[in-house]
Amino acid sequence: MIQRPSRLQRPNAQIALGGLTGIAALASVLIIVLMLVFLAIYAYPAIRFNGLGFFSGTIWNIGNQYGSGSVTRNGFSAEPGAIFGAIVFIFGSVATSTLAMLIAIPFSIMVAMALVYRVHPRIRPIANALVELMAGVPSVVYGLWGMVVLVPLIARLPGAGSGNGLLAATIILALMVTPIMVATIRDVVLAQSATIFEASMALGGTSWQAVTRAVLPSVRGGVVASVLLAFGRALGETMAVLMVCGSAINSLPQNIYQPVNTIAAVIVSQLESALTDSSGMAQRSLAELAVVLFLITLAVNIIARVALHGADRSEGQ
Amino acid sequence: MRKLSITALALGAALLCTPLAQAANARLLETGSSLLYPLMNLWVADYQKGHGVQITTQSTGSGTGISQAISGVAQIGASDAYMSDGQMKGTPMLNIPLAISAQQINYNLPGLNGIHLHLSGPVIAGIYSGQIKFWDDAKIKALNKNVASKLPHHEIVAVHRSDGSGDTFIFSQYLSFSTPSWKNGPGYGTTISWPSVSNAVGANGNPGMVQTCQSTKYCIAYIGVSFLNETNKAGLGYAALLNRSGNFVLPTAGTISAAAKALGSKTPRDERISLVFAPGAQSYPIINYEYAIVNPKQADPSTRAALKEFLSWTIDAKGGQQERFLSSVHFLPLPAAIVKLSKAQINKIE
Repeated sequence: MIQRPSRLQRPNAQIALGGLTGIAALASVLIIVLMLVFLAIYAYPAIRFNGLGFFSGTIWNIGNQYGSGSVTRNGFSAEPGAIFGAIVFIFGSVATSTLAMLIAIPFSIMVAMALVYRVHPRIRPIANALVELMAGVPSVVYGLWGMVVLVPLIARLPGAGSGNGLLAATIILALMVTPIMVATIRDVVLAQSATIFEASMALGGTSWQAVTRAVLPSVRGGVVASVLLAFGRALGETMAVLMVCGSAINSLPQNIYQPVNTIAAVIVSQLESALTDSSGMAQRSLAELAVVLFLITLAVNIIARVALHGADRSEGQ
Repeated sequence: MRKLSITALALGAALLCTPLAQAANARLLETGSSLLYPLMNLWVADYQKGHGVQITTQSTGSGTGISQAISGVAQIGASDAYMSDGQMKGTPMLNIPLAISAQQINYNLPGLNGIHLHLSGPVIAGIYSGQIKFWDDAKIKALNKNVASKLPHHEIVAVHRSDGSGDTFIFSQYLSFSTPSWKNGPGYGTTISWPSVSNAVGANGNPGMVQTCQSTKYCIAYIGVSFLNETNKAGLGYAALLNRSGNFVLPTAGTISAAAKALGSKTPRDERISLVFAPGAQSYPIINYEYAIVNPKQADPSTRAALKEFLSWTIDAKGGQQERFLSSVHFLPLPAAIVKLSKAQINKIE
């Protein structure tokens, strides 16, 4: 018996659907590109004013708002004494996110494996719900907890100073990204490799061998995607980091306890002062920082994709 | 009694019909300084009882206050700092003092918080620029001979504001006006480029300063006087500061008003002046006017009437300048001469 094609299967509908999804896909790329372009246009005077010193300088000074005259470089002027060096913030963003990922990646994989293969089926729904709850807690709540519980705890360690700093920011970020990674890795494993574990155990492997040799390689793409998602979140996390990082300025940390600052945190904390800069260069320099953060995130994505692609190829041969 | 006063107000309203009728149902938005916020809240709660106007207050920060008053989002931008010449060139705004505030230098020194340490501008500048590293430094000992042996050999953690702040403005003015090397170095502003000190901590807002200093032993911080109740509750000590005449003074009603008097006569018509490091034997060195930043051009007649009426009330001796409002946040009323100047500025709103 021949069935009439449903409405969506008719040729015209196919073309329309194809067109619509194409436009949607294009729009998502276009929005990202436009955001970057407009940010860059806004930041252009700062890019010219700051030059390469932006990437080597440690001093961030919006200049004397109450002084007289102005300073001009490459045709663009700012308040007297203004100098914008971003290395402290670039270092802070990369360092806190990378260290947080070093803690979070192995931990998340272990928790995800435990959730799929080891937790008792009766407890599993509760454990899953807890992980999802943790992923949904607003960052300002993590920040507040960090401020009133974690920071005073760290301050008790010998030589830790105020407790606000690199270590506190790293721990907070690790805590924040772990539930996201656990949830995504768990879902990928459930979808792709639910039976691989048992199969490999049945072949006489230990559970360690089953996870490292069979399960993880089969879900590598999903794991990398979840790491990327988490790394992006860590790089862009603002409030929680701002509340525990110690807002270092003009100074790089000498040990893991000392204050740091990240690009996202400094954009928020400096924005208000930047609004009072009548030359506008402080605001534009913050926009330049935003462009840099954008590019770092993009670079991390591309590097990971390329690495993943390369790994798949070499395996295929 | 209360009924009576309401009746009296209603009667007054009927008599003063024209301006009040215009002000009725108007909406005003005040945003800015977190230091002025507690007082604004007290004022507005009381003022709204007798006036048909709705006033919303927001604690955001002096920078936001200035920029939102300029953009027209807010009718009143609250700021601890007056606008710079550069900002005034862009959009001329009225800088109207509403009250006098001060700032204390707090510290958390176990065992010594009950004692008012003696500190000077150059010594505080030395601490914030990393030249004075320990609490038992010879320069601190020299100012505090009676407790010199009790000062611990412990690293000082200097805490500063990470957000744009009128408190940073007046603190850095004290250091600039008293210490040439600070004036030629970081200088002053609502945000400054702090010297590179690796254990220095930035904190957000006055509440953040109190919290950080409370949890960080051996810290030093600058905190607005409207948070004095909070810093006392947190058990922090506060310093007697060296003034221009060479005396160590505590922030009290007497020393703050002495400083305000010393510079009151110098206040120009646009009232943009620093009251920091005022001359006089009893003058407390870190005080300031709390400003309402207002656009002199208000197109909407009912908003204009409500704005002028509220601002006039805040600086009136029988209105906002009453002690029951000011003393709970440790602010002081404006001297009569300054009230006159502020009134003249309010009259410029048209």
